[in-house]
Amino acid sequence: MDTQSYCPVPPGVGMEENFLSLDDILLSHERLPVRTECVFPRLGFLEKSSDTQDIPEATKMELPLWLSKGLYERKRKVLSVELPKVYREGWRTVFTADPNVVDLHKMGPYYYGLGSQMLHFDSPENPDIAQALLQTFIGRFRRTMDSSQNAYNEDTSALVERLDSLEKVLFRSGQNGLNSFQSWEKGQASQLTASSLVLNYRKRKLADVQT
Amino acid sequence: MTSLSTPRCFWLVRFAARETAMDPSEVEFLAEKQLVKIIPNFSLDKIYLIGGDLGPFNPGLPVEVPVWLALNLKQRQKCRIIPPDWMDVEKLEEMRELERKEDAFTPVPSPHYMELTKLLLNHASDNIPKADEIRTLVKDIWDTRIAKLRLSADSFISQQEAHAQLDNLTLMEINTVREFLLDSLNCMYKLRSNLQPGSRKGQLTDY
Amino acid sequence: MFCEKAIELIRELQRNSEGQLPAFNEDGLRQILQEMEALYEQNQADVNKAKSAARSDLIPSIKLRHCCLLRNQRCIMAYLYDRLLRIRALRWEYGSVLPANVRFHMSAEEVQWFSQYKKSLASFMRSLGGGAGLDITQDMKPPKSLYIQVRCLKDHGEFEIDDGTVILLKKNSQHFLPRWKCEQLIRQGVLEHVVS
Repeated sequence: MDTQSYCPVPPGVGMEENFLSLDDILLSHERLPVRTECVFPRLGFLEKSSDTQDIPEATKMELPLWLSKGLYERKRKVLSVELPKVYREGWRTVFTADPNVVDLHKMGPYYYGLGSQMLHFDSPENPDIAQALLQTFIGRFRRTMDSSQNAYNEDTSALVERLDSLEKVLFRSGQNGLNSFQSWEKGQASQLTASSLVLNYRKRKLADVQT
Repeated sequence: MTSLSTPRCFWLVRFAARETAMDPSEVEFLAEKQLVKIIPNFSLDKIYLIGGDLGPFNPGLPVEVPVWLALNLKQRQKCRIIPPDWMDVEKLEEMRELERKEDAFTPVPSPHYMELTKLLLNHASDNIPKADEIRTLVKDIWDTRIAKLRLSADSFISQQEAHAQLDNLTLMEINTVREFLLDSLNCMYKLRSNLQPGSRKGQLTDY
Repeated sequence: MFCEKAIELIRELQRNSEGQLPAFNEDGLRQILQEMEALYEQNQADVNKAKSAARSDLIPSIKLRHCCLLRNQRCIMAYLYDRLLRIRALRWEYGSVLPANVRFHMSAEEVQWFSQYKKSLASFMRSLGGGAGLDITQDMKPPKSLYIQVRCLKDHGEFEIDDGTVILLKKNSQHFLPRWKCEQLIRQGVLEHVVS
C-alpha cells in the first residue's frame, strides 16, 4: 500500500521543538561551540582535553544544543554560545547571493532547524540570521519543487544529496503526490498490493540469513 | 493571487484537516457520482436508492445515470454511453488554446474532466469518436494547468503572499500538489515567525 | 558526555524509517535508567552540600546534571511512544495476528498494549452500523468490483470462502475470490492481485 499506517511525530520546525519527535531529538543533539562563564565543579571528566577535577571558567568546548539551551540564562550567564560558522555574516552573504549553489546537506543537515534554534540565544545578529534562513528557503524553493515534480524517471540523487533535512521532507511529499497520480494514470491505483512494511521485514529476514 | 473567497477557504480548511492527500483512486471514486447519458437496450422500472432514483430504463431512450452505473452496464453490454458534450475534439482544441494563452486558470468543462476522460475512454472508447485524439488533448490541457499551478506556487512562496485564489482548479489537480504545498507553506510560516522575536516564549523548556 | 546511550536508542528507530519495529532494547533502557539514578544521587549529594555548607558554586553542575536527567526522560518517552505508533500500524498492515518474528521484537508490556488496542478497535468496529458491525480495515481503496483475480505467492493451505466452499491456496495457483476475503492476505504478501 502507498498509504503508510505509520506516521511518526513530525518535527516542530522553527523555534519550537516537538517534544516526542525523533527528528527534533536528533537535531537538538547537534553540537555547538560554547565558552563556560563559570566553574562547573566535579565535572572535569566531561572535557576530554583536561584532567582537572572541575571544568574551569573560560573553557572552550562543544556542547549539544539541548544542553546549551538548558543551561543558558540571560541574567546569570553560566555559558556563552558561539554562532556556528554557517550562520555568521561571511556565510550569510554567500547564501543570499545564490542559495542554489550551496550544499545544505554538508552544511547542515539541519541548516534551517539549527538556525531557528540559534535564535533562542540572545545575539544582535538574530534578525539577520532569521532573514537569511527565510531568504535561503525561498531562493531554493523552485529547485526543490521542480526536482520533486519533474524527475519521475530521472536520477535526482545528486540533487537530493545537497538538500537540507527539511527540504528532503518536502521533496518526498512532492514525489508522493506525483507518483500516486502517475500510478493512477497507468491504472495501477486500483490494484491491491502487499504492505511495504511486510515486504521490508521479508527483505531483512533474507539479509539475516545471508550474513 | 490575491483574495480567497469564503467557500473555498472553508474547503481548504476541511482539506487541511486530513494528514495526507487523498489517493487518486478516491478522487476517481467521487467522480463516479457524476451523471452521464446512456442509451439502454433493456427495460426496467425506476429503482429507488439512498443516493437517488435511477431509471426508468427503456430500450433506445436516453437516460441520465451516475458514471459508476453507466460503466457497469457498459461492461455487461447493456447500454451505449453518450459522451458528454465537451468530450469533442474541436471543443477541447479551443480549450487547450485558451488555457495556453491565459495566465489564470480557465474554467474547465467538468470538475472531474481528468477522471471522466480516463474512465470513459478506458471502458467505452468504442462509443467515443476520435478517442485517442481526445486523450492527448485532455492530457495537454492537464499538463498546461499543472505547469501553471507550479509557477503560481513558486511566486506564492517567493513573494511571500498570504492568500491564493484557487478558482477553477479541480480536486484532482489540487490533490497532486496538496501535500507538498501545505508542507512548504508550513515551513515558510515557521521561518517567517522567526522574524518576530516577540512571539518567542520566555522559557526554554525542551531538553 | 551524558545521555549518549539515549541518543543511540533514538538513532536505532530513525534507521528504520519505514516503520519496521526493531528489537526492544531492554539493555539500552536499563543503562539509561542507571545513568539517571547516578545523576540523581550526585545531585542529591550536591544539593545537600550547597544548602548546608552554602556552596552556591555547585549550582551550575547541579543544573547541568538536571538537564541531563530531563533529556534522558525525553528520549525514553519518545522511544517508547514511537514504538507504540509502529505497533499500532502493525495491526493495520498485518491484521490481528502478528507473525512470530515481529512479536519477538516486542516487550511484554508492548504485547499487552497491542492486544488491548486490538480489542478496542474490534469493539469499535462491532458497534458500527447500528450494531451490525463494519470492518473498517477493509476496502482501504474504493473497490471496483466484488470479486478479484488473485495468484498465490506461497503455499497457504485450505481457505474457506463465504458459501462454505473450501479451496486450496497452493503456490502459483490462480483464483477468482471475493475481494474482502483476499484483502488481508494480499497485504500480507500471500496472494497477489492480478489486474488484467
